[in-house]
Amino acid sequence: MKYRGVKNTLACVCVLGMCMLAGCGSDGATQADSNVTDSSVETSTENTAADDAVADDAEADAEIASGFVFESNGVEIAVDMDMSSIVDALGEPDSYFEQPSCAAQGIAKIYTYSGFQIETYPDGEQDLIASIILKDDSVSTPEGIDLSMTKDDIIAAYGSDYQETDKSITYENNGTKLCFILNGEDIASIEYDSPVLN
Amino acid sequence: MKGKLKKRACIKFILSALVVVTSLFLLQRLLVPKYVDGVVEGAFIEEYYQQEKDFDVIFVGDCEVYENFSPIVLWEDYGINSYIRGSAEQYIWQSYYMLEDTLRYETPDVVIFNVQSLQFNESQSEAYNRMTLEGMKWSPSKIKAIQASMKEEEHFLDYVFPILRYHTRWSDLSATDVTYMFRKKQVTHNGYYMRVDVKPAENVPDGKVLADYSFGDNAWKYLDMMTALCEENGIRLILIKAPSLYPYWYDEYEAQVEDYAAAHNLEYINFLELTDEIGIDYSTDTYDAGLHMNLSGAEKLSGYLGKYLSEDVGLPDRRNEEHLCEIWKEKIAAYEAEKQAQYEYYGIEEEN
Repeated sequence: MKYRGVKNTLACVCVLGMCMLAGCGSDGATQADSNVTDSSVETSTENTAADDAVADDAEADAEIASGFVFESNGVEIAVDMDMSSIVDALGEPDSYFEQPSCAAQGIAKIYTYSGFQIETYPDGEQDLIASIILKDDSVSTPEGIDLSMTKDDIIAAYGSDYQETDKSITYENNGTKLCFILNGEDIASIEYDSPVLN
Repeated sequence: MKGKLKKRACIKFILSALVVVTSLFLLQRLLVPKYVDGVVEGAFIEEYYQQEKDFDVIFVGDCEVYENFSPIVLWEDYGINSYIRGSAEQYIWQSYYMLEDTLRYETPDVVIFNVQSLQFNESQSEAYNRMTLEGMKWSPSKIKAIQASMKEEEHFLDYVFPILRYHTRWSDLSATDVTYMFRKKQVTHNGYYMRVDVKPAENVPDGKVLADYSFGDNAWKYLDMMTALCEENGIRLILIKAPSLYPYWYDEYEAQVEDYAAAHNLEYINFLELTDEIGIDYSTDTYDAGLHMNLSGAEKLSGYLGKYLSEDVGLPDRRNEEHLCEIWKEKIAAYEAEKQAQYEYYGIEEEN
């Protein structure tokens, strides 16, 4: 009887502590995804990634099958693919640049090949493709569009289901964006963008 | 008798509540990241509050201020008392509120703002938000900074009670979390983050073509607010672009800043255009291939800036103030000690 108050207090502390330590279900997972610089949060993200590794591979394959794909020397390249497999297939790039983000939030990498550039984003141990940028008219999209062409050529090749701003037209397929940046009627740049850039 | 029982119950309730609150407080202290090793950038903002606040110059901005300028050089060579209130990817609304927060303690003669962050019109990452905002002392400025910074999935309450955000850290706790539960380790030199290692700038890519180079309305709004705040307080606002080679600084960005500076009668220094004059050598003066200066680059850049602040702006040499000299004596000793420790760690011979 004498210790009931103390017991109640301790029970209260324990319950609150357990609530805090156990995490808050899906909310915790959402927070982990936001990737705050904090080893525990990173660990949570890694766990999630490990659990979903097989599913991720399947998703990547599905995206290649249904999203926009660029091709170089017979190698299919799509956003969100693992860059290491692309380097294995294409060989070493003409130049390579690393952009470590402030406060160790990951390293973005830029691989430059003849006529195009690939930028990656870190995802756990992997570097996934964030964007593919066509830099000159020595390369073209599989649908035959290159930097020497015009807005009309783009629409003839890809259709009229696009979003338009003053200086670009963008097609979307399963979250992947194919963006044509225009200089008047001419094409200034062609860029495949991952949904992570949205 | 009844009253006595009621009183006893009341005391028990208060004591119980105290125990619960204290426990949660201790738990929170244990669980929040300490930023004393590894990623130290989250500790930068808080360090300012321990300073004696009588600075002539305050820097605000992102990594391009805290990695590129050394207040120690400004003091040693020109007697300028300065502090860098910079943090990782500090967005302009955060820089504005950082300045507002600073004005609660002091009014510097000069505020230097690095314009790289104008490229962002909204916060990009919760991690960066937290590294800037958590270190600020609670004030109306901090509340407004949080409100201006929060991404859609963030909650204000998580900033008030960080335990709500960091409760999952329990499995990653280390000895550091206990050691630094109630005390802090100094990780900067008046806000300057030192690196002595060298990684030459090679293969730095050009910027990719953008559909729109215009800075966003929100970024402009806070630059206007910063300009107005400085004007109201008689502070000379100097805009700078640090000589970081990447992320790419577009000509279109440059033109917008030049126009703004001219329209508002502000000084603007683009150090990218002055690298030869300053003597920056990107094969030896950067530790990450041109993104940031290492100590050698930061000291060259600070020497140039110090000369400008002293001769063109007319900031006084305060090395005759005994009290300040005493403060700086300690700071310089800490700076030299870290310099030596880093030279040893990286196996680099110090230049004479």
